[in-house]
Parts: sequence; C-alpha cells; structure tokens
Amino acid sequence: MNATPGNGFAPWLADDGPAADTGLAWLDSRRAQARAQVRDQGIPTNKQEAWRYTSLTRLLEQGFTPTAKAATPLEPRDLEPLLVPGLEAYRVVLVNGRFVPGLSDLQHLPAGLRVGGLAQILKSDPDALKDRLNGVAGEAQHLFAALNTAGLDDGVVVLLERGAQVERPIELIHLSVGMDEPRVAQPRHVVALEAGAQASLIERYVSLGEALYCTNSVLELSLGRDAVLKHQRIQTESANAFHIAGLYLSLGAGSRYQCVNVGLGASWARTDLNVRFAGEHAECDLQGLYLAGDRQLMDFHLDVDHRLPQCSSRENFKGILYGKGRAVFDGRVYVAKDAQRTDAAMSNRNLLLSEGAEIDTKPQLEINADDVKCSHGTTVGQIEPEQLFYLRSRGISAPLARRMLCLGFAGEILDCLTPEALRDQVAEQVGSRLEQAPID
Amino acid sequence: MSASPAVEAIVESEYEHGFITEIESDTFLPGLDEGVVRAISARKGEPEFLLEYRLKAFRHWQTLATPRWAHVHYPEIDYQAISYFSAPKSKDGPKSLDEIDPALRETYNKLGIPIEEQMALSGIAVDAVFDSVSVATTFRTKLAEAGVIFCAISEAVHDYPDLIKQHLGSVVPHTDNFYAALNAAVFSDGTFVYVPKGVRCPMELSTYFRINARNTGQFERTLIVAEAGSHVSYLEGCTAPMRDENQLHAAVVELIAMDDAEIKYSTVQNWYPGDAQGRGGIYNFVTKRGDCRGARSKISWTQVETGSAITWKYPSCLLRGDDSVGEFYSVAVTKGRQQADTGTKMIHLGRNTRSTIVSKGISAGEGQQTYRGLVRIAAKAQGARNHTQCDSLLIGDRCGAHTFPYIEVKNPSAQMEHEATTSKISDDQLFYCRSRGLTTEDSVSMIVNGFCKQVFNQLPMEFAVEAQKLLSISLEGAVG
Amino acid sequence: MLSVKGLKANVGDKEILKGLDLEIGRGEVHAIMGPNGSGKSTLAHVLSGREGYTVTGGSVTFEGQDLLDLEPEARAHLGLFLAFQYPVELPGVNNTYFLKAALNAIRKARGEPELDAVSFLRLMKEKLKVLHLDDSLLKRPVNFGFSGGEKKRNEIFQMAILEPKLAILDETDSGLDIDALRIVADGVNALRSPERSVILVTHYQRLLDYIQPDYVHVLAKGQIIRSGGKELALELEDKGYGWLGAEEAA
Repeated sequence: MNATPGNGFAPWLADDGPAADTGLAWLDSRRAQARAQVRDQGIPTNKQEAWRYTSLTRLLEQGFTPTAKAATPLEPRDLEPLLVPGLEAYRVVLVNGRFVPGLSDLQHLPAGLRVGGLAQILKSDPDALKDRLNGVAGEAQHLFAALNTAGLDDGVVVLLERGAQVERPIELIHLSVGMDEPRVAQPRHVVALEAGAQASLIERYVSLGEALYCTNSVLELSLGRDAVLKHQRIQTESANAFHIAGLYLSLGAGSRYQCVNVGLGASWARTDLNVRFAGEHAECDLQGLYLAGDRQLMDFHLDVDHRLPQCSSRENFKGILYGKGRAVFDGRVYVAKDAQRTDAAMSNRNLLLSEGAEIDTKPQLEINADDVKCSHGTTVGQIEPEQLFYLRSRGISAPLARRMLCLGFAGEILDCLTPEALRDQVAEQVGSRLEQAPID
Repeated sequence: MSASPAVEAIVESEYEHGFITEIESDTFLPGLDEGVVRAISARKGEPEFLLEYRLKAFRHWQTLATPRWAHVHYPEIDYQAISYFSAPKSKDGPKSLDEIDPALRETYNKLGIPIEEQMALSGIAVDAVFDSVSVATTFRTKLAEAGVIFCAISEAVHDYPDLIKQHLGSVVPHTDNFYAALNAAVFSDGTFVYVPKGVRCPMELSTYFRINARNTGQFERTLIVAEAGSHVSYLEGCTAPMRDENQLHAAVVELIAMDDAEIKYSTVQNWYPGDAQGRGGIYNFVTKRGDCRGARSKISWTQVETGSAITWKYPSCLLRGDDSVGEFYSVAVTKGRQQADTGTKMIHLGRNTRSTIVSKGISAGEGQQTYRGLVRIAAKAQGARNHTQCDSLLIGDRCGAHTFPYIEVKNPSAQMEHEATTSKISDDQLFYCRSRGLTTEDSVSMIVNGFCKQVFNQLPMEFAVEAQKLLSISLEGAVG
Repeated sequence: MLSVKGLKANVGDKEILKGLDLEIGRGEVHAIMGPNGSGKSTLAHVLSGREGYTVTGGSVTFEGQDLLDLEPEARAHLGLFLAFQYPVELPGVNNTYFLKAALNAIRKARGEPELDAVSFLRLMKEKLKVLHLDDSLLKRPVNFGFSGGEKKRNEIFQMAILEPKLAILDETDSGLDIDALRIVADGVNALRSPERSVILVTHYQRLLDYIQPDYVHVLAKGQIIRSGGKELALELEDKGYGWLGAEEAA
C-alpha cells in the first residue's frame, strides 16, 4: 500500500470550477467530506475485491488534472458528424464535462420536463437539488464517486414531474476534445422521474479525434412509484481515453428501468452500475455488450441490491474479446433477508477470439431469503466450428462468416436499442470494429 | 535443545464431560513458539530435515495474518491457547487390534465404527486416528504384497524418508496460506500412501478421524503419491463427540498423480457442528490440493460436508499434465448456526485439460453457505474445458446461500461454462410427497437426496449409503 | 461434372471410405443408398470440405477442378451445395442477411455483379412463392428455434436462392413426416433442371417415391457395390440390403 494514501488522485480535486463558489453550506460540507474520503481511502490495489482484476497504474501514470478553462468554442456543425442520423431528441451537450447551451437543443421542452446544467441550477434553484445530489449515491464508498463529488463541477439535471410522459428521447452527449494537457472531466448528473413519469434517456460518450483525456462521470437516478425509464448508454470514447462511469439508481415501487450498455471505445474503461430497490414490484433490466480489442480494458461492475421483496432483475452482458483486449465482469446480486419472491437472473457470455485476449468474470449471488428465483450463468467460448462451416459451405468467406457470427452473438443486445436509427448506427460501429479485429 | 515452559509441563487431561474417552493422554500445555515446534519434532524422533521444514514453516507463519476474505464469522482464535500435541500414552505402540486400549475401542463403538466388523465385512483397511497419532493400521500385509505403502506419516518419515523429503510440501508449500503454514509447523500425524508404478491398489483405503482431547488442535497431514499408471481410491470419514469448546482443525492433504495415474479422494465430514446457539463445534480450516503432474492423470475430489461449525475448504486441482482431468463433487449442509465457505480451484496449465465442478449446497435454519471457486485457464492451456454447476437449496427464511465464482480465461480455445441456481423445496413438491403418504421429514429427505444425487453417485457404494443417511439425520427437524 | 475416383477417407484412425468411384453428369439425379454406417454422410461431408475427415487416397474433380484442395466456401463458389442432415442453428444471424451475403459472395466469385437489396428481396419473394413457403422465414435467425421440418425446408429454400450446379441432399428425408417430406420433395423437383445435378443421400426408398432418380447406387462398407436405375431402389425396398451382402455395419 502506498505510504501517502490518496495523493495519487489529489490533483483531480479542482478548487475553481464553476460550481466551486456556490456558497451552499450543504454542498460544501458534502464536498469536504468527499475530499476527506479520497484522502483517507488511499489508492485501491488488487487486494481489494472491487479492483482485483483492474489496475489503476495506467490511469495514474497519465497525470490527469482538471481544468477551469473551457474548450475552444465549437459550433453546431462540428457536432454533426457525431450525431445519430435521423434521431430526433431533446439534446443536451457537454463538452469536456461542461454543459454547453449553444450546442444543446432544448427548445420546446414539453410540460413537466426540466433539463438544464447542474452548475446553473445550483445557482438558480439549489433547493431542487439539495435532496437529490448525493441522495442516491449516498456518502459514496466508491473512490471515483467520492472524487466526482469532491471535484464537483458541472453536469446535467433532468427532472420529470409526476405523470409526465415524454415521447422523444432525451439525448445526453458527452463530447470530449483534446486539450493542452491530459485533462479529467468529472460531470455529475441528476435524473429524477416522479411517480408515473415515463421517459427515454440516451447517453452517448463521443470524442473529436484520438484525444487523451479522462471522463469520470456519476449519474444519480431515481424513479418514483410506477415510473418507467429506458436508459441507453453508448460509450465510443477515443482510443486513448480513460472512461470511468458510476451509475447510482434508486427504483421506486412498481417502477420499470431498462439500461442498455454498449462499451466500444476508450483505452481503459470502468463502469459501475449500482441498483437499489426502494419499493416493491419494481423491475430492473440491465443489458450490456462490450468489445475489447488491442490493449483495451473493459470493466463492468454490477451491484444489484434486492433489499425489498417482490422485485425482479435481469443482468445480461455479452463480450467479444480479441487482440490483446481484456474484459472484467463482476456482477453481484444481493438478496436481503425477507426480500422474498425476488426474481433475479444474471448471465455473462464471452467470445474469446485471439491469443493474448483475456476475460475475468465473477458472477456472484448472495441470497438471504428462501422464496426466491435466482440464477446465474457464465460462458467463455469461441465461434462454433459447425456454425462457421455452415456459413462457409454457403459460399461465405471465413472472415466474413466469423464477423457475421460475432454480430449474431451481439445481436441480442443490439436489438434492445431503440429507435432503429440508434440501433443501426451502433450495429455499424460494432461491425466496423470487428472488421479491424484480428480475429482470423 | 531445551523445550519451552509450555512444553516442560505436560499434564494429564481432565475429563469432565460425558462422551469423552477415559484414556491416559499426554498433552502439551497450550501455547506455540519455536520450542513447541522443536518439542513436537523431538517427541516423534524426527530426522533433521523435517525439523528444519517445520521451523521454516513456523517462521513464515509468524509473518502471516489470519485470512479474512471468507464469508464466515467467528471469534478471534487465540493460537496461544491451543495445545499443539496430544498422544495416547502407549508404551510400545500396539501391533494389532488386541493391543488397542479397550477404552479407545469402546469410543469407536459409541461412534458406530466397530473396527473389527468393518474390516471383516467390508475389507476396508482402516488407519484410525485417535487424537493426533495413529494407533491402528491394518491390512498392511495385503497392501505390502501389492507394493502399496499405507501408513502413518510419522512412520513414513522414518521408513521412507526419501519419499517424504521428495514430496512433502511439494503440492501445498509451507508458504501457501496461514493454516497450511501452521500445519507444516506443527502437524501431528496423518497418512501416507504410495502406489508404485502400474499398481492398482487392491482395496479402498480409509481413515477415520476423530477429535477428542480438550483444547487440542488437530493438524493432520496426508500425502498420497500415485506413480505412473497407478490407481487408488481413498476414503476419509470424520466424526467427533459433543464438546462445548471450539476446536481448531487445520489439515493439509497433498495428492500427486503422475502419468496416467488416478486418485479418487472421498470425504464424509460429520464433525460436531456446535449447539443450537452456535456454541462449540469444530473449526475446519483445511487445505487440500491435488497435483495432476503427469499426462492423462486424473484427480477426483468428492466431499459430503455436514459437520463442523465453520468449514473453510477448497479441494483443488493443478492440471499440469497434458490431457489431465480434475473433478470436484460436493454436497455441503449447513444448519443451526453452521457456516461453510467451500469450493474448489481448477488451475488449467496443460493442454487439453478438463475439469468438472458440481457443487450442491443446502442451507437450513440460520446456516450460511458459500460456494467459492476459481477456474483459471492459463494462456498455454490450449483446448482446456471446464463445466461448473453450482446449485443451492434453501430451507427456511433465515439461512443464506452465496455463490462467488472466479473465472479467469487467457486462452482463446478454452470452453468454460458456469451455471448456478438457487431454489427452495416448494410447497407443491412437499404436498405431492405427503399426499402419497410420506411424512414431511421423509419428503424433505427424499427431495434433498434427489438434489444431491449427482454427487452421491460419485461415492463408493458403502459411503454413498452412509452419506444419504447422514444427510437425512442432519436435516431432521429442519422443516417445521 | 463430378468425378470421384478411388476415394478413401478416414475419420480419426478409422477408414470409412475405401476406394469409392462415382461419376455424375450434368442434369442427372443420383440416389446413394446404403445401410447405417456405410459412409453415406462421410461422402457428403468430404465432398463439401468439412473438417475432421482425412482423405487418404483417390481424387474428386468437379467440372475439371480438383475439389479436395479447396476451402468450403470456394467449393460453394463453384456451385456445390450441401443440404445438411442436421442444419446448425445460428442465433442472432438473420436469414435474409445470411442469404444475401452468401449469394453475393458466390456471384462475386463468378465475376457477376452483386445484387442490391431491392433485387434480392424480389428474388427471395419469388422463390418463396415457388416453394410455397411463408415469408416469416426471412425475418428469423438462421434455423434458430426451427422445427425439424422447417430446418429442412430452409435448406431447400437456400438451394433455390443459391442455384447450385450440384446439390447434395444428406438424409434430407430423415425425421420428416409424410407431409413435410412431400413439401421438401416438391421443392427439390421444382429446382430440377438440365443444368443442375442432384445427389440424394438416403437410407430409405421413401424419398424416391417423390423424387425420381436417374441412377441409384448402393454404398456399403465404404464402396459403391452396385449401381442401377430407379428399379434398384424398389428391389432394395423389397429385399433390404442383405441380399447384396451389405449388412448393417456393426
């Protein structure tokens, strides 16, 4: 263990971001607490279960620092190549972690929907956030959540009033552009759907060029009674980027949440999905697809806390590993005492396609109630020779046949993406990555 | 060489409780230091290499901390409050059953292990361990004819020092873990089996373990070496009488299989689990590991774990030889306040290595049960295969069943499948059985035995029957 | 068109084909019959280039080209098609996408232009109609969740799209009830043409009631032991394989 714990990440703690001088006592005390946690907690090592297979060395070597300086102003046309063709959405754009109203498209928001920048709302209406900021993440135990709180800067707030149903998806674009030095951005998002509200949220992580940067985002999400949210997260960061994302979810009684995760980009990516049931009869569906190619690390941690009875959860993650790609899947389903009639099924399937690729997977069940239906399944394998032969006997070349079978494997997750425009774009991105992949 | 104060005073044990054999016992005072280690070695008249080995292990153990990662909870163990040596007082050592202390034989009868009868009826060679020293070994002649060595490890140290020197600690090094280091420092006695090249051991080998003397840690050491083309099946059964203090048991078992050799190691473990409040009961912290050193070798572990307050045990296979096979079949029952953290490690190193894991956990009352397993497929293990099946059965709403598999795959030709399920005995199943005239207990027993069948099928016949009986007895009263 | 001379092939150490000769001309339909274990499926697999079979002797030429050195896809490009006895399921791989990729690969290999999406769709609709198949077939993953009969019909459908020069139907009749058998046979008959040769590999005469072969061969112990016209099949139906000295393999 490092003799001076916490120091490795000390430079991440900004003093002068836009949200630094809000003068809000409650916020200052939370940030101070988080700073103390970062200081005291030290740098996790592989002795800690949550970091057993993922080393922070490469991340720390980059010497990331936050910046108060805004990126060179971008124009809407700069954004165009990064959009999903044909996708109609209420669009919020962050550049290097900061909300940029000029690139966003938030006109004509329907009644009951409020979308805005976090720093802005902390100034204009802090009470709207007082109970919500850290309300779900809690006095976070996760180092990167604490770092995010300590370095709190900007982000996006999405509030949906009771019963409001928004047809059009809300699209949250995290755009990163290269800066003078390796920079870390730590956006913080707060999404809350009140009782009966329904919406669709698309989060996309994109970059201009092959910039080296780090994103450490935290999203706190709460669903009220019977609220419904479809959440799609598409990570296509630059090949040099470091990507850290923490999701903290609180699901109210009868609410339904679906999250489709696609991890394709970044050199080093770690995503933590933390789900807590806050009412009975809630449903949670977590789907995931990850590709890891040369020297890429793709790490997904799932923690689903069935603390109340009669909730159901599905966790279905699939990975394709090639080159020297590495993936880590660590899924935990916890069923508390008395959380009867819990229904949970976790699955993690992987295709390992080349020498040097590696998968470390750890699907865990912790069950403390007896009237439950819980299962998990994990596989690591390759493309079936019979399937390959079948395709080849129909005249399809071996490389194309392999790619088709990989896409077929991924299809189950890709088919969860909506609307079709998004699905098609992501499928194409997956296809073109596989085309580059040395999987023959 | 002078012994420590702890060893200087050797006392007669006091027997205050009912089910304790009245036999003169020779026990060290509690405490552990280098002097104790030297004294144990001296008492056994061990050669210098073994003393050196023990001391090396002891010095390493002192640098280690108790492992905390297991999903079990128990009060801190005071290793200075444990006595590290206890031997039945016998002048010259019995050569036949007739020479065995009648009180000892009476104990076996109480435990339902009538030695003569068993030997006569089943033809099983019995190496009974009473406390820490072997006192009876039979069928030696017949085994000797086949060239099989089956004896106490303390005898083997004298009679076959080269074999011991070569193999002891070669699978579980003294640096392996806290309990393995402790065992290497203070191991009391245990069993040594050596099956020469091409020999098929003519009978099932069996040892009955028993823990008796108060405050006495049990540190068994078992070493089985199967030379090329040989075959051996070893049965280990344990039982312990009622006690009201925790007893530590930290055994080490090492198996070595050379080319084409096969070792089948079966365990029925039924030590005292503690009372309803969780008092007493054995702490069973065991390190078991098999080394499939040779090509096409096979090591198969089968265990039925119903006893002990805490079980911490991961019989593992190092699949080093090409085409070698590792198997782990387990039934574990926890009830009352029992806790079990058990599973296996399959380390695939050789080409075309295969492993199978079948784990059946049954939790009742406030029992806590954890499967913890590692399947590692190394980069060079071309063509490795693993199939893992982990099923948990919960009986009652206060127990817990946990599954922590670790799967690490670095070879792109590996095929690995892991499945886990959790279920309970449904009211419908119970009702169906009862409507056919079965009692609730019989119904539960039948359903549970069905749940475990895949594992029981792996046991030698006489053990399978015993295991089924044990399971039924263990679950008596589990369903209200 | 296809010329097999003295073909010997092993599975592992075991010799299955022991010097097999077979000549197939353009537009001909040949039935290869034989008891279980006689090597019928091995022949079908060796011709299509499946792994796991070692050719130890003899030659196979297809339109003058040595077939045995070619990759499976190259054989398909030449116009060879195997209708599998057990078509494999391809979860997640859409039938339409799959067939379009296959057809365009074959066309490309022949120097023909690839079909665009519209023309391809038109072609599929047309073939579905000829074979009296439902177009729900197009949206499903290849063979995934198909019944036995659906899988066999899908094989025939693929054959219709890919228009091979030589189709090998490996026990296409096995596991089909009489209605399914008729649908499959009608499909094959609809695809008969002077340009297309067919090898029907079958254990039973039943299929030959619906698809009339020009020639019938009896395969036993790895060799063709008898050849004749379609009346040979009827004779086999009456007398079994025993009279030819071709008992069921042990």
